[in-house]
Formats: sequence, C-alpha cells, structure tokens
Amino acid sequence: MFKRIFDWLKQPLGLIAVGIAFLGLFSIAAYGLYMTQQPPEQPIQFPHQTHIAFGIQCLYCHPGAAKGPSAGIPSSAKCWACHNQIAKTQTSVLLAPLKQAVESGSPIEWVPVAIVPDFVQFNHRAHIAAGKNCEECHGDMSKVTIAENPQLMNMGWCLNCHVRTAGDDHEILVKLTDCGTCHY
Amino acid sequence: MSKKFSRRDFLKLAGAGAATTAVLTGCGPASRYVKREPYMQMPEYNYNGQSTYYATTCRECAAGCGLVVRTSQGRAIKTEGNPNNPLNLGKTCARGQATLHGLYNPDRITDPLKRDSRGSESTQVMDWESAIRVVADALKNNKPEEIAFLMGMAPDHLFDLASDLANATGINAPVRFGALSMFESRATLSKAAKNLFGETSLPFFDVARAQVVFSFGANFLETWLSPVSYTRGFAGLREALTKRRGTFVQFESRMSATAGKADEWIPLRPGSEALVALAIGRLASELRGGPISRAFSSVDVLEVASKSGIKLETLEHLAGVFANSSGALAIPGGAALGQSNGLAVAEAVLALNAISDNFGKPGGVYFSALAPNQTEYQGPASAKEMRELVQKMYDGKIKVLFVHGVNPLFELPTSLEFGGASKYVSQIISFATFPDETAREADYVFPDHHGLESWGYQRVATGSAQPVLSGAQPVVSPYYNTRAAADVLITAAQLAGGKFAQALPFKDEVEFLQSKVASLMSEADGSISAPDILTFMASFQQYGGYWKLSDTRGIPNTVEVLNRNFSAQEAEFRGEGEFFFVPFVSPTLAEAGANKPWLQELPDPTTTVMWNTWVEMNPVTAHELGIENDDVVKIVSEAGELEAAVYVYPAIRPDTIAIPFGQGHTAYGRYAEKRGVNPVDLLGQHFNEAGDLAFAGMKVKVEKTGKKKPLSRLESLMGVYGIGLGEE
Repeated sequence: MFKRIFDWLKQPLGLIAVGIAFLGLFSIAAYGLYMTQQPPEQPIQFPHQTHIAFGIQCLYCHPGAAKGPSAGIPSSAKCWACHNQIAKTQTSVLLAPLKQAVESGSPIEWVPVAIVPDFVQFNHRAHIAAGKNCEECHGDMSKVTIAENPQLMNMGWCLNCHVRTAGDDHEILVKLTDCGTCHY
Repeated sequence: MSKKFSRRDFLKLAGAGAATTAVLTGCGPASRYVKREPYMQMPEYNYNGQSTYYATTCRECAAGCGLVVRTSQGRAIKTEGNPNNPLNLGKTCARGQATLHGLYNPDRITDPLKRDSRGSESTQVMDWESAIRVVADALKNNKPEEIAFLMGMAPDHLFDLASDLANATGINAPVRFGALSMFESRATLSKAAKNLFGETSLPFFDVARAQVVFSFGANFLETWLSPVSYTRGFAGLREALTKRRGTFVQFESRMSATAGKADEWIPLRPGSEALVALAIGRLASELRGGPISRAFSSVDVLEVASKSGIKLETLEHLAGVFANSSGALAIPGGAALGQSNGLAVAEAVLALNAISDNFGKPGGVYFSALAPNQTEYQGPASAKEMRELVQKMYDGKIKVLFVHGVNPLFELPTSLEFGGASKYVSQIISFATFPDETAREADYVFPDHHGLESWGYQRVATGSAQPVLSGAQPVVSPYYNTRAAADVLITAAQLAGGKFAQALPFKDEVEFLQSKVASLMSEADGSISAPDILTFMASFQQYGGYWKLSDTRGIPNTVEVLNRNFSAQEAEFRGEGEFFFVPFVSPTLAEAGANKPWLQELPDPTTTVMWNTWVEMNPVTAHELGIENDDVVKIVSEAGELEAAVYVYPAIRPDTIAIPFGQGHTAYGRYAEKRGVNPVDLLGQHFNEAGDLAFAGMKVKVEKTGKKKPLSRLESLMGVYGIGLGEE
C-alpha cells in the first residue's frame, strides 16, 4: 500500500504534487512567522486626519507631552465630551467601542504605536521644551488614519537628531549623547 | 546527497524549526504584549506616566505604621513607609511591602455571598441591598444582648463604630482578638505593669538609647508589639557614632531571628525565666553594692543555676554586664510570658529595670503614649476572655455574631473549640476580604474592601514617643464589588431604625471618621490644625494622620517595685512527653501572611525554609532518635497531634522543639491552603494569671513516622553535618 504511494510520488506528476505540497506548507509557515511580527488590531480605527481637519491641536488630546514623560492617550471622558454632542456617535459602527466603553465604565484597550523599550527613559516634555514639533518624530498625522511611525525608533535615530541638535556646541553635545541622559 | 536522511536528522531539523518559530514568536513587536488603558476619567492632578503618592496606614498588623503608596494610572504599584509618621519614620517590614499581594490576590471575595450551608464551597451572590437588609434584620430581630462583634486588632475606627453602636443599643461590647497579641502575651505585660506600677498600660522600652538590653523571650525584631519601631530602636542601640555600641542579650530556649542578632544567646531551660531574672537581679545588686532589696533577696543563685541550665559563671558574667552599665534595660515578652508563671516572669524582668533605675529615663521603661483620641489603654481580649466568649456561644446566649478582621478558626487554639461553639450561633456574618476559615463557616460573607481601598484610622498602641493616630485613605478605587464594613453597619443601622439609627447618625464612613477626629482640629501641640473639618481632613489624609509634637510617654511610679516579694517558682508544664514545645510566630508570615506569595517565598530568617512548616530539633536529639533532616515526625500533645518535617537546628535546646505559626490553612486561598500545619492544634486550654494562653507551657511527644518530606529551603545542605562530603 505505502510502497504503491511512494512509487506514484516518484512519477513526474507525483514530484510536482510533492513540490506543490511543500510550497503550500512553506507558505503557511512563512505566513505564521509573518503574523508573529504583526501588531494586533486597534479597537477603534481612529481617524487622526479627521480630528486634525477640525483644527484640534495635538496637545488638546495628548496634553501629557508638554507636562511629563508620557503624552498619554485621552480618557474616554475626554472623547465623550465632544462625541456626546455629535449625533453620529450614537449610530456609528466605528464609534461603537467608545460608546460601549463609556456606558460600561471599562477602559478602551489601545495598541501602542510609538513604543520604546523599558530601559529607555524617554521624556516628551524635554523635547517639546526644546522646540520640537510633534510631527518631527511622529510624522504628519493629518495624512493618516491610525497613527503610524514614519521611522524605526531606534537608538541610532535618536542619536542622529541629538547630534544634529547639538551642532557645534560641545557642552550640549556631551549632555545629549551621554548614556545617562536616556538610560538611568 | 548519498547520505541517508536519518530519523535523528529529521528530529534535529524539526527541533530547530520549532525553536526558530518559538524565538521569532517571542521576538514579536512590543505592541503585541502591551496595552494602553487610559483612564475613564482622569483626575486633574494626574499626569500621564507620572506616579501619584498617597499616605495611608498599613493593615497587615495592628502596629499602625504609616505607608506612602505609589500609584500609577489608578493602580497601587509599591508601598513604602511614611517618613512623616513618628512611629515608623519611613520604614516598613516585609509584611507591609507585601500588602499589595493582598490587594491583587486572585482569591479575594468579590461580591456579597450567602453560603448554602456552613463549611460548604457553594455560595449565592447577593446584591448589597439585600445584604444590608440581612444585617439590619439581624440587628432588629434579636435582643441586643444576643448580638456580638468579634473584631481584629485593626482597624480602630471600625472598633470605635461598633463600640458606639454597642454602647447606645445594649449590644455586647465588641471583643477584639489577634493571634499576634496572644503570642506576644500583651495581656500579661500590661497586667504586670499594673501590678508593679499601679497603672494599666503597655510598657514602652527605649531600646535605642539603652546601653545593654536583656530580652527575655521578646522577639521585638520579628512580630512583637511594633516590630518596625523596635527594629529602628535596635539600630539605634547598635550605632556607635555618638555613644558606645550597645550590647544585646537574648534569653530563650530556641534562637529566634531576634536572638540571632544578639551578642549572646542564653538557651535557658523553659520555665526558669523568672528565676534567672531574679538571680541576675540579686547578683547585679551585689555587684553594685548596698543592701539587697527584698525583691531579689529570697532567690538562691546556685539553685537557679542548676534549674535553668545556665552555669553560675555565666550568670555572674551576665549580672556584671547588667550592673556595670549605665543604661541597662530588661524586656519581658513572648514565649517567656506564655507560661503558667508568665505574670511572675513579666514582673521579675520588669523589676530588673529598678536596678539600673531607668524608669522614665532615656534608654529605660516608659508607659506608651496614648493615641490622640484615646483616654485609656485598651488591650485586646486575652485567650481566657476569648474562652468566655466561646462559652457564651456554647450556651446559646449569642444568636448573631459579626466577625471582622480576625480568623478565630485559624488563630485560636483548636482546643478552645470556637468551631464547635459556632454551631450554637444561629447567624454568623463575616466581613472578610479573603475566603478564610471563619468566612467559610459563616452564613453570610459581606466582603470589606482591602486595607489599601479603605478609609480609617489606627491608634498607635506603642512604639512612638509621641501620641499618633495613623490615618488611612483609599489609595485606589475598590477593584471589586466590595463595601466598607463601616458603611454596611451605618446603612443597616439606619434601615433598622430606632435606637440603631440614633446610634449611628451618619451619612457614610467618611462622615463618621470626621466626627471622630473633629475634636483634634483645634487641640494644641498637634502636627496639623485647621479652622474647619474639610481642611483638617485634607491635611490628615495628606500627611497620613495626626500626631502630637511632644513626648507624652508616661513615667511609671516605681516606689514599691523593689520592696515586693516575687515568687521564685518554675513554670508548670502540662502534658506528657519529653520535649518542651515552643510555638513561635513566623517572622515573615505571622497570622495572615500565608496568602501572599512574596511572603511565602521569603525564606525564614533563621532556617531559610519557605512555603512550609518545619519542626526545629537539635542535632543531638535528632541523632539520638535516629531522625534526619526532612524526616516527618508526629508531635503529640494532650490536645492534639500533627505531622511535620524536621529541620535539624543547632540553635535550639536538645530538650525543646519548636514549630512556627502561620501555615496550615484549610481555607484562605490557593497560596495558603493545604500547606504545612498549624501548631495551635497542639495547644491546650491553659492560661497564666493574666489570662494569656500558656502556649509555651506544654510538653509533647515526638514519634517517628518513617516518611520523608523535603523542605524547600534557600540554604544549601552541602557541607552541613558533613552532607555531601562523604562523611554522613
């Protein structure tokens, strides 16, 4: 029985079948590996461009950026303050998770987009105080729906900007490139 | 490719493939593992990514240490001591640190429950409205004298509330109990103070400024009275910057963690503490010259040496250390007082202080300062008073029992038969936060918030020179559908109407708290003062309580101390057996720490055993009995028996065995249940003259079982008693 199957597989047609089966398995494995590298889906496909088109400033929803380390994600109460007065909120499928969160009192679980490892002590406040604009790092949010990272936020990228900012001032260069500035 | 692709190669390849997949899966983007949960309604004073700190009071024991809890986004992250609180000055013990494991414990009771039948696991979830109706009906439909409150040593505000309710309505005055107070022999200590100095109070021992400290059984670096404060005091004794480094001698039959810190550990024969104290008193008086006072004149030093097993030279040497010091201090406590002659031990040891005449002086004995809203010392119930309560339950005189903050089915000696008596109580209502043994035997469980979710205050009973009222406030919103026991009682009293409603005319717990601290608002010498109650409460919460600024410790009246006759008797031991039995409170777990994995995982300071109960036995004894490490033995006392593994411990007398108290839960959640044994099962109903349990006054038998149970311990056995060296 098995011998007959093996014999058939040795035929040219059989070899093609084996090849197709192998390719299929390989694709599934590759897809599986690819999926491990994908972030989960956001609970709400938040349209940044719509909000910016209404003229809302970044710091209105993310005031923490000017005050402390974390820019923060606005509380449901803050979303609701405006959306409560927009009739579409009650019927929109897109906004159903917000409505549900406010009514049930359970927070919306957002998926982080801009994230640095725990050993990096990133502080927004210093960057805003140094006159950086949000879009310099986060890109033009008026063009995207869900926030995207225009670049890989790795140490080389941080240091490039730190070195550029310091210019010829040696003292500032030392401060901005010292390990302890970000890793403490 | 002539080589055959073997089965082994295939497995290798498959293994490598699986490993690669696993690694790549683990190396996914961080966003796969992190969620951002913003506030529903962010408090104005919060900044994203920045912690908010709240001052509150630790509820892990009744000492009343102040805490500052770091919270982030509405979650408690870390507890540290409150540096402002005069009691602990910014320090905590391990139990205080582990309070978070109570808050986040997966076995917490989340809703009010009605139990189908006592002892069963099956319960019905109730809503709070019907729960409060149950309490109101219990208050209304029973005679006041048939209603009783059994409460823990903390929190004090709830005790005050129950006391107010009891006073106004004729309900039995609430009874407070805790295993810690039993094992530290609090009642004996305060009774001895009353006998010697004429005033009922908890003595305060100023360890920090003493030069020589003799402690008879007081394990003040572990759980005794106020361990954080006494540990600070001990640090003061040892620091040698401004004075000579202090000397510390511990007298007890097994080396506790406290004795482990001592310069000298004197393993006296159990029961001979009073004799040894009097002998040292006599010898020290002789060394100091002058007439020997009546207190010490009757004792025969040679006889003491033979009865206590301490050599005469050692006694003379110790008397020399005591007599030649300008600041010698003697402390009685713990197992030394938990014997038939415990009161005599406490008196004899307190009298030693008269030799160095240290009463009311730095480095000496004081009366503890009473807390700001306290007029007299209130001690918890002794074991004997608990037996009276149990008797009332047996006689059917109690129809409704409210239990809060204490777990009598675990903490009381089994021989007191609380469990048997509870069958004669028609309704038991527990306010337990965790599903402990007593909650399992209760008809209803109306869960209180965890301490970190609660309002309240705790009077500092001892440990601080200043009077301190430690304040508690919620540092996080309650995570579950729990409700403050005070709120439940207030609402139920309103519902019951009549005198109950009049007794507690408050809107809620916070209003009750305000009424209790309002009088402090304008008192002189306070740490905070305010023109109105809301401003006062804001400061009370911000600083974690209210305290006086000056030292108000009392000075004992010692005129008659040295002119008394002290009984020079050995303690009597009950039960047949060749071994003295010393149960001691686990320094890490104490009475309620077993459900916190951090504490379970914390090695015992002397043996390094974790997650279990052990029997301490001297290597000589073990050798004679043919017992090795980890052998399970059966311990038989007149009251019961239990089995536990032996830890061969060189720092215990050969005629003594010891078992830690803290494990052996039959309920109390997944981390505590079915782990170790509870030594209170061995304790008989014997009390000393002050009503404290003579828990260290028993003799027991040890039987081999032939079983072995390896104890998990941090230390390596390699090289101990030759193990692993081919010498065993």
